[in-house]
Amino acid sequence: MSIKNNIKRYIPKPSRREIFTIILLITEIIIFSIISPNFITFNNLETVLRNSTDLAVVSIGMTMVMVLGGIDISVGSALGVVAIFVGWMLQAQINPFLIGFVAIITGVFIGLINGILVTRARIPAIIATLGTSNILRALIFGMLGGRWLTGLPRDFGLFTKGHLLGIPIPVILLGISYFIFWIFLTFTTTGRHIYAVGNSAEATKLSGVNSDKTMMVAFALLGSLVGFSALIYVGRLASVEITVGIDLPISAIAATVIGGTSVKGGKGSVIGTLAGVLFIAIMKNGIVLLGIPSLWERAVVGLLIVISVMVDIFIGNRSERKQRELLSKQRLQTS
Amino acid sequence: MGKRLFILLSNRVFFLLLLFVIVVLIMSLISPYFFDLNNMITMTRFGAALALIGLGQSLVILGGGAGIDLSVGSMISLSGVIFGLMVGVGINDWIAAVITIFIGGILGSLNGITVALLGLPPLIGTLGTMYAYGALALVITKGVPLSGFSESFSFLANGKVLGIPTQILLIVIPVFVILLIMMTKTNFGRSIYLVGVNEVAAQFSGIQVKRVRFILYTISGLLAGMGAIIMSSWFMASRPDVGNGMEMRAITVAVLGGINIFGGVGNLVGTMLAVFIVTMIASGLQLANINTIWQLAILGFILLGAVALNQVFVKKQI
Repeated sequence: MSIKNNIKRYIPKPSRREIFTIILLITEIIIFSIISPNFITFNNLETVLRNSTDLAVVSIGMTMVMVLGGIDISVGSALGVVAIFVGWMLQAQINPFLIGFVAIITGVFIGLINGILVTRARIPAIIATLGTSNILRALIFGMLGGRWLTGLPRDFGLFTKGHLLGIPIPVILLGISYFIFWIFLTFTTTGRHIYAVGNSAEATKLSGVNSDKTMMVAFALLGSLVGFSALIYVGRLASVEITVGIDLPISAIAATVIGGTSVKGGKGSVIGTLAGVLFIAIMKNGIVLLGIPSLWERAVVGLLIVISVMVDIFIGNRSERKQRELLSKQRLQTS
Repeated sequence: MGKRLFILLSNRVFFLLLLFVIVVLIMSLISPYFFDLNNMITMTRFGAALALIGLGQSLVILGGGAGIDLSVGSMISLSGVIFGLMVGVGINDWIAAVITIFIGGILGSLNGITVALLGLPPLIGTLGTMYAYGALALVITKGVPLSGFSESFSFLANGKVLGIPTQILLIVIPVFVILLIMMTKTNFGRSIYLVGVNEVAAQFSGIQVKRVRFILYTISGLLAGMGAIIMSSWFMASRPDVGNGMEMRAITVAVLGGINIFGGVGNLVGTMLAVFIVTMIASGLQLANINTIWQLAILGFILLGAVALNQVFVKKQI
């Protein structure tokens, strides 16, 4: 019985912040289905999911790194570099499984470089990844030589196009990957360390956790997810353009933050992030359905980021105040 | 000897001067046209807008509290577009230019409100406005550049006074001198450092931390407004995408210039030297006919190297 209780206690209850995002998401869905009859069709919803699969996968990794108090601006350029490798290998007709393997390994390699810069060279994550982002972006230009990779074989098309038992593959893919990482972050030692280090790197170090190693693991995992997303990207578009992934870091950060991950680290969950990804994806889709010029898209997303974080701070301030009041009451009682 | 060299290298201004000499040497080897005083003075023209937003970025970062302004590029785009609109409805170029600087200030003060007063994390608050301002610039113009400025307006970014590019002599140098005096000689300037180093101590010594940071974001906006004018005169058009990516370059020069990303440490001379170096590299590569995209990579390497070196020095000093 005690073990069962312990496990129960171990599962973090969804925070108010996550519930808020989910309510926001449901409200959004209701509003769009009232306004536009085309919204709640199976086809449209599938399109929404298909177009945001790569963002959703990268956002898992972004959540881990941000819970640690880091950030990664280089995910877009990293995805681009891996996607070009994938494109080249597809053109050379290499075995798809081998391609997948190489893609993920390349992603991990880039992630480890970021990790080393942050943990060994002690460069703040935002600066380190800004630097690698610049370098990788130049690499993309160099590799493409000004020409796009187009008409690639659709070996990886099934990631976004296919169905399994009538269920769209993106649903299955996202379901599985989010479930795995939810388990990882909630029930494994390394996963719990990520939260601990994010809350207080100093305290965790003193209690014997290797915070540098935890950071390296998070960056490597983010890298592997970026590598995987590159496969999805190439499968979806069958081409790699020069601006590949340029919006990805900002979208992933936005999804993570809207989903309730604190920029200061220590707080957040992949469930919230999934809600954040869907929220942004549906918002973009809704903007198109309502006939609003797509130029507005970024303005809306920008406003959403600001509003959601403001709500976060507001809720945080209130609960802090409540806690303080509770404490002072207890003190009064004891004295 | 080793120790003395170490102390010299840990002085940021000396380090940057050394880097500057190295860059000039390499560039002169790559291109025979590079090493020429006239050419070098003309080159500074390319760095005018970057210098302004780089200084703004440095101030915001110096103010601490994880301060950063990602929206500088979008502020340049949006205030430039508003400038184009004003000229379009018949307002005199120069009057419109002054108004535009104030509009930049207003855009910056909005950042000040969300970040400094309401307490949003700077990274997120300015990311939001970066999106919002950039999109607004596009929406207003539908993506098409606005033009139709008077011929005389071109003088600002394409003319010369006393052999020095106009915008450098009349805008960048005065702004730099004023900011430098502000940082070193005024109470406000000293309070920026204190706020950056220790917010709590600053609060206890009677400094209004929120107000100081609010002003810094506003200054960053004002400088972006000036940058917008220079860019408009440079292209003789207001392009809604002119500021794209400039925020990254602004952060790069600030950090390369020795501004500590956690605030409170660094000075504006370093930032100006960094702008100079970055501009030299950019125009040197152009002279040598090397694709400008490699600038990005070189900038990335210099940025990483500079910060890593910084961290080594900080650790050794402790």
